[in-house]
Amino acid sequence: MPIRVEKLSYSYQAGTPMEHKALEDVSLEITDGSYTAVIGHTGSGKSTLMQHLNGLLKPTEGFLEINGRQITPETQNKELGDLRKEVGFVFQFPEAQLFEETVKKDIAFAPKNFGKSDEEAEAIAVRMAKMVDLPDEVLDKSPFELSGGQMRRVAIAGILAMEPKILVLDEPTAGLDPMGRLEMMRLFSRLHKNGMTIILVTHQMNDVADYADHALVLEHGRLIADTTPKALFSKPEWLREHHLDLPQTTKFAEKLMASGMKFDSLPLTKKELAQILADRIKGGSADE
Amino acid sequence: MSSIIKIKNLTFSYSAEEERKTLDNVNLEIEAGQWVALIGHNGSGKSTLARCIDGLLMPESGSIEVDGLHLTEETVWDVRERIGMVFQNPDNQFVGADVEGDVAFGMENRGIPRSEMQKRVKEVLEAVDMTAFAKHEPVRLSGGQKQRVAIAGVLAVRPKIIIFDESTSMLDPEGKRDIVGLMRRLNDEENFTIISITHDIDEASLADRVIVLNDGRVIDDDVPEKIFASGDLLTKIGLDLPYPEALKEELKEKGIDVPNEYLDEEGMVDWLCRSALKN
Repeated sequence: MPIRVEKLSYSYQAGTPMEHKALEDVSLEITDGSYTAVIGHTGSGKSTLMQHLNGLLKPTEGFLEINGRQITPETQNKELGDLRKEVGFVFQFPEAQLFEETVKKDIAFAPKNFGKSDEEAEAIAVRMAKMVDLPDEVLDKSPFELSGGQMRRVAIAGILAMEPKILVLDEPTAGLDPMGRLEMMRLFSRLHKNGMTIILVTHQMNDVADYADHALVLEHGRLIADTTPKALFSKPEWLREHHLDLPQTTKFAEKLMASGMKFDSLPLTKKELAQILADRIKGGSADE
Repeated sequence: MSSIIKIKNLTFSYSAEEERKTLDNVNLEIEAGQWVALIGHNGSGKSTLARCIDGLLMPESGSIEVDGLHLTEETVWDVRERIGMVFQNPDNQFVGADVEGDVAFGMENRGIPRSEMQKRVKEVLEAVDMTAFAKHEPVRLSGGQKQRVAIAGVLAVRPKIIIFDESTSMLDPEGKRDIVGLMRRLNDEENFTIISITHDIDEASLADRVIVLNDGRVIDDDVPEKIFASGDLLTKIGLDLPYPEALKEELKEKGIDVPNEYLDEEGMVDWLCRSALKN
């Protein structure tokens, strides 16, 4: 069991009159090799929960367990350092954290920091650059000469260079154009297929439908749903009640239903809906 | 109708060594009161074009006329009086300690008398529906609310043209709907000329006119229905299609005969119901 969160609560400025409970009694499990989407509005506690996963925050109450390592309110900060090798964290706009002279050095920074030799670290950097589809010729360029999408790839390669088992992604496609977004999502999908556990914080319900196999919904610091995307999006009324969107396909299928078309269950992805419709259109003409 | 923006043979590049111009001989006229969506992938030149129109960047060659003023170093301040810009990241646009102070900033810079400032702050906060937040700290607002405040600040200096540079791209879906609704109202009711630079195809489909930029050139310029019906072109340059068109492409791949003309959601629902339920 790589991640288990048990009755976790977290308060900012605990014990002061300004105390604010950001997470309340959250319990959940994330299995090895899963692709989990974390959904919720600004202020729902998503980021607070994610920051527990790599030891940036410790619970005020309850505990969490990551790859067998327990983190409780009593855990010492120095015990949390190793966690950052196991859990890679891609913040929003990660390219803001690039700083080295060359792309290769930037990617090699973390492995070097964690004790690899220069040669080893460089070899890792070259491998990671390939993994995120950066062309060879950019390796010796300054990261600041690259396009926005490429800079983001460099930042992500730098995180992958720590060879984490779990990758936490906070709105990783914000600000990219449609093609850049698609390429980025395919990259994560590939990492997932290679066995990495992916945790994606997102507002993009299409991505939840297209990529995730597990969905968590937070609201006002509480976990209000822990389910599959299929089950989540089969309840449009519940989602609307909580001001959450549906994937485009599901929304469109609802309109078709309102005009008299029937579905056994609401389709989630464009491919799925196109297949159902194509079968019906062909089936219809064959009968004529 | 008269053109409020006239661009002739506009060429721009960031450095002389670049082989490809960031803007390459762009010719455009935009009518007063029009809502124009400027689409294209990152690096296509959209934001550079907006910055040239606002005089933030000086073109290499060609000319720009805004509201009858030929844009030069002498006229740039007058031109900027007529244009308001709303940027992508709401957090980078705040200077005031509270919402009111922030909205007043642009007016303070222009030496507008205090009583007039107070009147306008009240008006514009009402216009963007943020009156209740006048005394709030901008940092504590949601993304959509922050963009509303940024728009209020722009409205306060009474421009004729508002340029939205990917202003909805960092907002959650509710914030996005909110700001697009406000853009529509400013255009419909207040008759502002609106230029929206966007990747969001749903936002672009609301415009009167869509201009497609690719590698610094205008490659298409038409009403949204026409632009979105030419599906391959948009896909080829890395842009999304409106959902009904994207679904049509997917059906085409599965060997279904689909109508060639552009279908909006309603049209697509109709066509699908007729085709799939005909027996």
